[in-house]
Amino acid sequence: MRFIRRIVIGLIAAVAAIGYTGNAGFCDPKEPSPAAGTADKLTVVRAQICEEMNNLQPVNPTAVFSVAKDKAFCFAEIDGIGSSTQIFHNWIRRDNHVAGIKLVVKPPRWSTVSSISLRETDKGPWRVEIADMDGNVLKTLRFSVVD
Amino acid sequence: METIFSFIQNLRWQDFIDIVINSYILFRIYVLFQGTTTFRVMMGITGLLFFQQIAVYLGLVVTSWLIQGIMTVAAIIIIVIFQNEIRGVFQATNWKNILWGIPTISRVAPAETIVKTIFELAEKKIGALIVFPGRENLYSVVQRGIPWQGRVSREMLKTIFWHNNPVHDGAIIIEGDRISEVACILPLSERKDLPSHFGTRHRAAAGLAEVSDALIVVVSEERGSVTIVKGATFKTIKRERDLNHYIDMHLGKKKVTGIVRKETFQLSIAALLSIIFIASIWSNFLRRSDTLINMEAPIQFKNRQPGMEVVQVSTNNVQLQISGSTALLRSVSSTKLYVEINLENVNIGENTFNLTSKNIQLPPGITLNQISPSKVDALIDSIVTKDFPVQVDWVGKMPPNLLLSSVQVMPPTVRISGRSLRLKDIKTIYTKRVPIDIVEKSGIIFAGIAVETPLKLASGQNETVKIQYRVSER
Repeated sequence: MRFIRRIVIGLIAAVAAIGYTGNAGFCDPKEPSPAAGTADKLTVVRAQICEEMNNLQPVNPTAVFSVAKDKAFCFAEIDGIGSSTQIFHNWIRRDNHVAGIKLVVKPPRWSTVSSISLRETDKGPWRVEIADMDGNVLKTLRFSVVD
Repeated sequence: METIFSFIQNLRWQDFIDIVINSYILFRIYVLFQGTTTFRVMMGITGLLFFQQIAVYLGLVVTSWLIQGIMTVAAIIIIVIFQNEIRGVFQATNWKNILWGIPTISRVAPAETIVKTIFELAEKKIGALIVFPGRENLYSVVQRGIPWQGRVSREMLKTIFWHNNPVHDGAIIIEGDRISEVACILPLSERKDLPSHFGTRHRAAAGLAEVSDALIVVVSEERGSVTIVKGATFKTIKRERDLNHYIDMHLGKKKVTGIVRKETFQLSIAALLSIIFIASIWSNFLRRSDTLINMEAPIQFKNRQPGMEVVQVSTNNVQLQISGSTALLRSVSSTKLYVEINLENVNIGENTFNLTSKNIQLPPGITLNQISPSKVDALIDSIVTKDFPVQVDWVGKMPPNLLLSSVQVMPPTVRISGRSLRLKDIKTIYTKRVPIDIVEKSGIIFAGIAVETPLKLASGQNETVKIQYRVSER
């Protein structure tokens, strides 16, 4: 258990050191900055929609999912966390809110992930809005579910 | 005073026109028939109408019934007995005079010329019969005249009465400075007391004088004498000065300015009384509230701000229960009544409007008793433009060995125009369906933007977007 914890912290530190901010190219190009008024200026350092997670890292980031894949993951790495707080992954299909997943993030930097199961009726364009506790959208990721 | 102001304030434009038209008709009747017997009879009937109203008010049943009976036959009496006079008014004047003309005495007969000519005719023993009409119309008593309309002159008068002239035998009528008719046949007097030397000319002059207020000048062909006849009076005139005096007196020439002023004053009073009379009748209509009707009125929205739209209304028509006199209600039902709702200070979204009498423009005298429904719900919206991110709507089956690792849409946003309430719930605009099956390697494709009606792309926006995508192997 202690070993896994060390790996997670190590990974986070490594990513922070590299300064990687790539977002797999399917998020909105201009996202609003974190809303003023929140105590912590949360920043999404990295966010991706992917087919799988392996060792807390996104695997096969993509903009199109086959419904046969069963699951879609939203990985997000948040920086600027002053104190333990919550963020939301809002899964939206064609402007219809499907799921809102509450996730805890801890200072100073935290990676987190949410997922949804894909069904036949879920085909179509989707987006995941990563929002802070006040509902301010920090990042929007877009993808489609196809045959 | 307050009642009068309230009456004027509540007048619709239709009411104003109604009062003006009828007042003018009444005024024209006065102008055309003033001084005639018909007019006097009409005044008598009006008096009877007034007394009948008093009789009704006092509850004098028999008197009221009798006066009403008299008035019923009075209309027939006027038409039958005074048909010649009425016809004379309409035949003698053209339509312009009937509608606009005001009879004036500004054109005064050139009395001196006439007098000199009359004495010249008398000297040469040329018979003449000249009529100067008074206030009364002569067309019911004078027959078979030939219209002449020639300006009075010495030569003209001499020519007309020259014994070889075909029209010399009748009478001429001088109106103002013109000879209006010649060869007129006047009614002969039945009087037995006329002097024996009086011929047909004198008897005709006496006949016309008996039934009118005209002044008639007779020049005797046998004796060369000049006689004036007015009413029952005959006067032989020896001197030009005397004849001039009598003609001037008859025409009121020496007081022309005063007469014009007096006539203008009389006409002004007549016009004012006509307006008061018609306005009284109109207000009498207003006071009655004996009928109750239900009407359906459509709803109209006014003072809409630019781009504002009424998307939904709980009802398009409301039922109005109104009361008033039958005549007024008939006029209201023939015009269209609207319920107006002011959109000046409304908010976008659902609005409830309470309907009161202020929402309906009713003519004075009509009372609104009930509106159903008394509240109207309306969904108000406005047309706005807004930018939205564009997302690709992929469909089909992705080749299993490939991953669509990145997608970039250019331009990333698109401007959409539509109702604000509709746009409020929209966060993303999608492309038309783009098949993923054809994707084998990284590249660029174009796709149309799918905009659902009633939304539309704002002007100047491209209907397609460029999609740049990157494909990677698993």
